[in-house]
Amino acid sequence: MAVVAPPRPAAERREARLELAWRGRPGLLGWLTTTDHKRIGLLYFWTTLVFFGAGGVEALLMRTQLERPNNDVVSPSTYDQLFSMHGITMIFFFIIPMTTGAFGNYLLPLMIGARDMAFPRMNALSFWIFLASGIFIYISLFMGMAPDAGWFDYVPLASRAYSPGSNIDFYCLGIIFNGIASTLTAGQFIVTIFTSRAPGMSLNRMPLFCFAFLAASFGLLFALPVLTVDTVFLFLDRNIGTHFFDVAHGGSAVLWQHLFWFFGHPEVYILIVPAFGIATEIIPAFTQRRMQAFPLVAIAELLVVFIGFGVWAHHMFAVGMPTVTMVFFAAASAMVVIPSTIQVFAWCWTMVIGGGRFRTPLLFIVGFVFMFVTGGLTGIMFVAIPFDQQVTDTYFIVAHFHYIIFGAAVFPIFGGMYYWFPKVTGKLYFELPGQISFWTIFVGTNLLFFPMHIVGLLGMPRRQYTYPDGLGWGAYNLAETIGGFLTAAGIVLLLGNLLVSWFRGEEAGPDPWHGPTLEWSTGSPPPEYNFAVIPKVSSAYANWDHEDREEDRRRLEQGVLVLDEGNRQVAVTPVDGHLSEIVDMPHGSPWPILLALALSLVFTMLVIERYGAAAIMGVLCLLALVGWHSHEPAEETA
Amino acid sequence: MDVAARPALPRRNGPTAALLGMAVLVASEATLFAAMIGTYYYLRFETAVWPPRGVPEPKWVVPVILVAVLVCSSVPMELGSRAAQQGRLAAARSFFLVALVLQAGYFAYEVHDFADQLRETPIDRNAYTSVYYTLLGADHAHVFVGILFVVWLLGKLAFGLTPYRVNAARVITWYWHFVNLLTIVVLATLLSARA
Repeated sequence: MAVVAPPRPAAERREARLELAWRGRPGLLGWLTTTDHKRIGLLYFWTTLVFFGAGGVEALLMRTQLERPNNDVVSPSTYDQLFSMHGITMIFFFIIPMTTGAFGNYLLPLMIGARDMAFPRMNALSFWIFLASGIFIYISLFMGMAPDAGWFDYVPLASRAYSPGSNIDFYCLGIIFNGIASTLTAGQFIVTIFTSRAPGMSLNRMPLFCFAFLAASFGLLFALPVLTVDTVFLFLDRNIGTHFFDVAHGGSAVLWQHLFWFFGHPEVYILIVPAFGIATEIIPAFTQRRMQAFPLVAIAELLVVFIGFGVWAHHMFAVGMPTVTMVFFAAASAMVVIPSTIQVFAWCWTMVIGGGRFRTPLLFIVGFVFMFVTGGLTGIMFVAIPFDQQVTDTYFIVAHFHYIIFGAAVFPIFGGMYYWFPKVTGKLYFELPGQISFWTIFVGTNLLFFPMHIVGLLGMPRRQYTYPDGLGWGAYNLAETIGGFLTAAGIVLLLGNLLVSWFRGEEAGPDPWHGPTLEWSTGSPPPEYNFAVIPKVSSAYANWDHEDREEDRRRLEQGVLVLDEGNRQVAVTPVDGHLSEIVDMPHGSPWPILLALALSLVFTMLVIERYGAAAIMGVLCLLALVGWHSHEPAEETA
Repeated sequence: MDVAARPALPRRNGPTAALLGMAVLVASEATLFAAMIGTYYYLRFETAVWPPRGVPEPKWVVPVILVAVLVCSSVPMELGSRAAQQGRLAAARSFFLVALVLQAGYFAYEVHDFADQLRETPIDRNAYTSVYYTLLGADHAHVFVGILFVVWLLGKLAFGLTPYRVNAARVITWYWHFVNLLTIVVLATLLSARA
């Protein structure tokens, strides 16, 4: 890292003006009205951790129940709610908001050299809607009416005839509500990536992390509406008597599955692609090498999601479909191996030729590659249709997808927490407890999920609240339960380490890892305006281009692209990254939280079947929108 | 603006964030309708007789004429958007007002007709009526949202023209082109039951 030249008075004056322009309101009101992507990222982070805790407790309760045969810690109906809520929570309220909401929001603008997202208020709106939808669905759990037909909620079980309570209505509305937040985030990222990059950052110079988040955002954008349609149909079937899924009146129960998995399979890649993105940041940082096969990795990240849209029916091989259909989907599913393997080889090869400092973040990435390959190897087995039909709905499936969406999707999240901790807090974490937490989680996870393969092949079905004695499943289940608690202990150690480091850690400085991308070129924690000058970019590893960073310092002194009059940032052309215009950004607004509040009232009225009141609350939403748009940005003078 | 603060970089015009944002919204909405239209055909091919016995075939003469009228509103929308970009405020207002009259007239008749049809054949008859009314109702809802957009835009234009409002005019015009296209596709899908 080059020595920072002593700042000149002109530069200091400009920084002070930026400081003044971008400063948030103090106190609680500041957090409620914030549009700062870093604050929103942190809000997402804390909220998501709470949901992660809830989902974890649900998992541990299930593992405690299954620890020995004929156990009766929880009742069958509670168990149904536990596994349904565990799936819903971990997917919709932990991984998606943790990756896109927390990591994406905090880091994406920093990596592309922007001062905020393209639509800062919409960003705040998406957080408040997310929070409200989480509260909405968790209220049902405390009322004992939580969704209880599994996270994929198959009809006819989920229809009014077999699920008369409000449980499934909470599911439908909660999922639609949450989907609004995710759609807003996805649109936000797409527009931000295409318009707000620093000039000079053409698409081929964009960090791989951003490609991964772009892929996840496109996935969300095109997958979520299908889930929304599906849940709207189910809500109508249950509440106003339509017959979409009612076979007796010309509907189709399999239709639910088609629509659900058309969303559900891309969803799996939406969960994992951000993890790829995190890996492609951590590996270069700790090997001090650029990622090998950069363009191929970028294309592979996008391709995984794209192919992911053509494989949904492999979740339905046991349903009874024409052989041609099944063979098509099996072939398409096999195709996903290609972009996945390209990435595995690129990660491994970069580590092999770069050596690498195996500090905690990189350890988690190594663990991730191991889990991803293991889960991938069982995944490819399902392409063999007869094998799939044998193991469908057994613990073999549970083992497979937990290797992928816990091992592969969550390990990089943990690695990322360590990696960016110094950036967010300005402090270094403690290395030894960090490494201990990795090994605890790694051993715990494998002990938890590996035996599930075996009990699955022995025939243990998923979603059973207990199992009889004498089948030889007891020892495996006990091992899984021990693994579950070991994993939980590792996670507690991880979070405890970060918490203590936050108060007691050493000062990290702006760039403790000599990181590759732009977030490491600014302070730790970054100032509210992110960059005192819109950075010059001439490669994807911008922080390693020392001449450009020197140029930034010269520009700050000369006042080029400092944009210190109000809240301004640049907009660029989508592909080439040429400067297009200077835009005036909104900064701080009460409307997002008010609109989210009005929208929660709409959903509350819907779930208690007060449709007239829901319409009135809808009018409140419209009023909030009019208020939102009453403020116009200043005209551009340049 | 301080001369020194001017960016010393070449500039090119790119699409604004607002246009891209609308493109993203349209993509998301189009997917929503693709899923519903997919459902329509999925249910159709699961059913021997379509529409099922006891349900009238969808009427076509009046809906086709009305949709043609609605689609014509794309012309004044586009002219209004261009007038706004050229700074001709009065022209922009009149064009949007003409568009609004067409759109509101279409919407009023369609809501009335929707209620009539529901009285004759309720939505809970069978899978056909379920998907028919849901698809049609979703389309009407989008027309309604478009009307709200234009009303809001006219409200804004009552207080003059700013770059922000020009942007809004362009974006709302885009939305209306999408809604008009969507209405044609939905009508074609529903009328395919007659074939």
